[in-house]
Amino acid sequence: MAVSDTPPRPTLAQRIMASEHGFLALVLAVLIVVLTLSADRFLTPANAVAILHQSSLVLIVAVGMTFLLITAEVDISVGASLAFGSCVVMAVMNETNSILLGTLAGVGFGAAVGGINAVVTTVLRVNSLIGTIAMMMMLQGGVYLFTREAVQNHHQLPLFPKIATGYVLGIPVPAIIAAAVAAVGMVVLARMRAGRLALAVGANPSAARLSGYSPERIKAVAFVVTGALTGLAAVILTSLLNAGQPTAGTGFELTVIAAVLLGGTSLMGGRGTILGTILAVLILKVIDNGIIQMRWNQDLQIIIPGIVLILALYMDQRRRGGAGG
Amino acid sequence: MVEDLATPEAPQTGDTDAARPTLRVQGLTKRFPGVLALDDVSLEVRGGEVLALLGENGAGKSTLIKLLAGVYRPDGGTIETGGVERHFASPADGLAAGIKVVFQEIALIEEFTVAENIFLEDHLAGRFGRVAWDEIRRRAAEIFDRAGFDIDPEVKVKDLSISQQQLVEISRALAHEAKIVIMDEPTSSLTPAEVRHLFGVIERLKAMGIAIIYVSHKLEEIFEIADTCVVLRDGKWVSTRPTAEHDHASLIKDMVGREITDLFPRSDRPLGDTVVEVRGLSTATGLSDIDFDVRAGEVVGFFGLMGAGRTELAKAIVGYDPILSGEIRIAGTQLTPHDTRRGKALGIGLLSEDRKGEGLMLEASVTRNMTLAALDKFTARGFVDAAAERAQAQSFVDRFRIKLARLDQPIGTLSGGNQQKALLSRWLMFGLRTIVLDEPTRGIDVGAKAEIFALIDELAADGFAVILMTSEMPELLGLSDRIFVLSGGRITGSFDTETATQEAILDAAIK
Repeated sequence: MAVSDTPPRPTLAQRIMASEHGFLALVLAVLIVVLTLSADRFLTPANAVAILHQSSLVLIVAVGMTFLLITAEVDISVGASLAFGSCVVMAVMNETNSILLGTLAGVGFGAAVGGINAVVTTVLRVNSLIGTIAMMMMLQGGVYLFTREAVQNHHQLPLFPKIATGYVLGIPVPAIIAAAVAAVGMVVLARMRAGRLALAVGANPSAARLSGYSPERIKAVAFVVTGALTGLAAVILTSLLNAGQPTAGTGFELTVIAAVLLGGTSLMGGRGTILGTILAVLILKVIDNGIIQMRWNQDLQIIIPGIVLILALYMDQRRRGGAGG
Repeated sequence: MVEDLATPEAPQTGDTDAARPTLRVQGLTKRFPGVLALDDVSLEVRGGEVLALLGENGAGKSTLIKLLAGVYRPDGGTIETGGVERHFASPADGLAAGIKVVFQEIALIEEFTVAENIFLEDHLAGRFGRVAWDEIRRRAAEIFDRAGFDIDPEVKVKDLSISQQQLVEISRALAHEAKIVIMDEPTSSLTPAEVRHLFGVIERLKAMGIAIIYVSHKLEEIFEIADTCVVLRDGKWVSTRPTAEHDHASLIKDMVGREITDLFPRSDRPLGDTVVEVRGLSTATGLSDIDFDVRAGEVVGFFGLMGAGRTELAKAIVGYDPILSGEIRIAGTQLTPHDTRRGKALGIGLLSEDRKGEGLMLEASVTRNMTLAALDKFTARGFVDAAAERAQAQSFVDRFRIKLARLDQPIGTLSGGNQQKALLSRWLMFGLRTIVLDEPTRGIDVGAKAEIFALIDELAADGFAVILMTSEMPELLGLSDRIFVLSGGRITGSFDTETATQEAILDAAIK
């Protein structure tokens, strides 16, 4: 390769493909351009807000899930926890007439679920894929013991629904919350000791343990953080619906995990970025929205992300395996 | 001794003619990337003879066995059985040529019965394509009868002991009318009574005219059972002599052979206080009742053959593994077992023998690998100071002359020696005072080895307490001030390096 006297400068396309997030950004840009041209209602403020609302819930949980996957664990129970959490939020608000206590209850509920997942994985040593599927089943059944139907806003707290539907400086509140969560996640992962340890535990748990760290403790923190963020998402969902909805969150965990993987986080642990996760969430939600805008069959909303995920992971593998070739 | 086998009951098929060797190996050579694992080795074994194959770890015994079994294909040389040259493409070909290897890891199907396992390769087909179970059972019983094994053919293999499973493996050899049975360290997990029984079985196989190749580290067994000894060293043939002409010393000398060169600098190492005190340490990983002390400024070497408990001891004393009983004190403070965070706080750490599995984060940068243990030094309020981290990594790269292109290249792209230096830096950057090195030069080229030896000497001269786990005799004698020998999880010998001899150490290692 070094034989030729003028090494060929990589073309723009090659550089985009080689950069960590260039490809995802390119896909997102192409999607937006194509949809803007082909669906006249795609690039409207109302539609942008809809996409941001949708993306916010997924992104908040996906930030936690990125950390969890980096430590080589996974949490399948986030969808069920989201639904149960929203019922808990509304029920506590009805009981206490306090938005603050309802919010704390939601976050606390999610964190507690994450805590149980952590104990099952790190103390009982049950594989987290199986342990959190079991948790999902318990939560899906449990929520019906808790309430048979949606929990309505009994006190008609007028402020509560405005949290999620409100705007600050023209930006929807959930998007601001999600951006804040993602920003913190980005700083922790890239700059802080905690992020380093999560990466180390995922890359080589034995090396981390020999270096004087407890992989179990680090994984437990990732579970609890993921759970707490799921609780936060549950508060926002409740506010959007102005009710606790036991049937909400079906398939939510798959969207979250698909986004994290699409964003370049390794299922085997040790590698991942928050920026990748952000781009991937937006891609999936823009596709989702585009299918509605184009008035295509709605079943494609599930089928297309599946295809996208396989393609993305395939390209990622080629990029890593065949660099320079 | 060859005369005894010509007894009438020995099945004479013409191949086991006493004049002609059952197995003849000539100039056998096997090359792996970067290593000549077996270099021009020849040997012969006759029906009714037990040939012992001896050598240190890495001498080429396993490679030779795997070539004979058809697991590997030779790069040169020939294998003849019954006077016919054989070319094995797979283990099935080896068996077809009459060679049966009983490996240390027994390859039976646990959920099948004994009889099914014996006839695994050739399910005897009955009428209508059904498996002839009755026939299989009958023939299994017949083989056990002939060999004098007391095993029920109907029992599932998982319900048998290791020694019974070995007998099933040997029965497979008999079922295939194998003429050569190779046993790889067959007694390593047997009780003394089971060993006696196995020797009885070997005598019976001899009487049946079968040639046996017996691989073992345990010299007592060799003297008891073997007719001939073949010694390999570094992949090369060293000697072939009747066992009767050997004594312990001559056999060990053939195995160890090489002179210790002065790869090993020895600075003045002033002795300090006792830093490590281990008392009555026993673990579920097989250690029992280990006692020793290490002082600052001292290199204490632990020697042991494979499975002696070196790695287990290393992992117990740094707090990686739980312990059953006993006490570990580091600098006077008791270490909490199964808690590396505590061990690290007390200043003890392990450089693992398994670089990839337990040391490196392969995809992560050299810097991040080097600073993993010392991360707190670069952290303020939870934030890592990346510039300070890089500067520190660079200073260690310079100090140890680690060859790399960039600090942020993945550590997986460095050579083994440079990786090892980076992992040593990981601990030195943290500022340990006691370091446990488990096979620190495994898989490292000679140049890097010498640098690591010099570094170990330097550490001891700086007042480190160094615990060295090794199966390499020159390394042990060259680096250690004192030597402990492990065998079967116990300390079976302790020596001052000045008075230690290789023979005495190896003798203790095979106790």
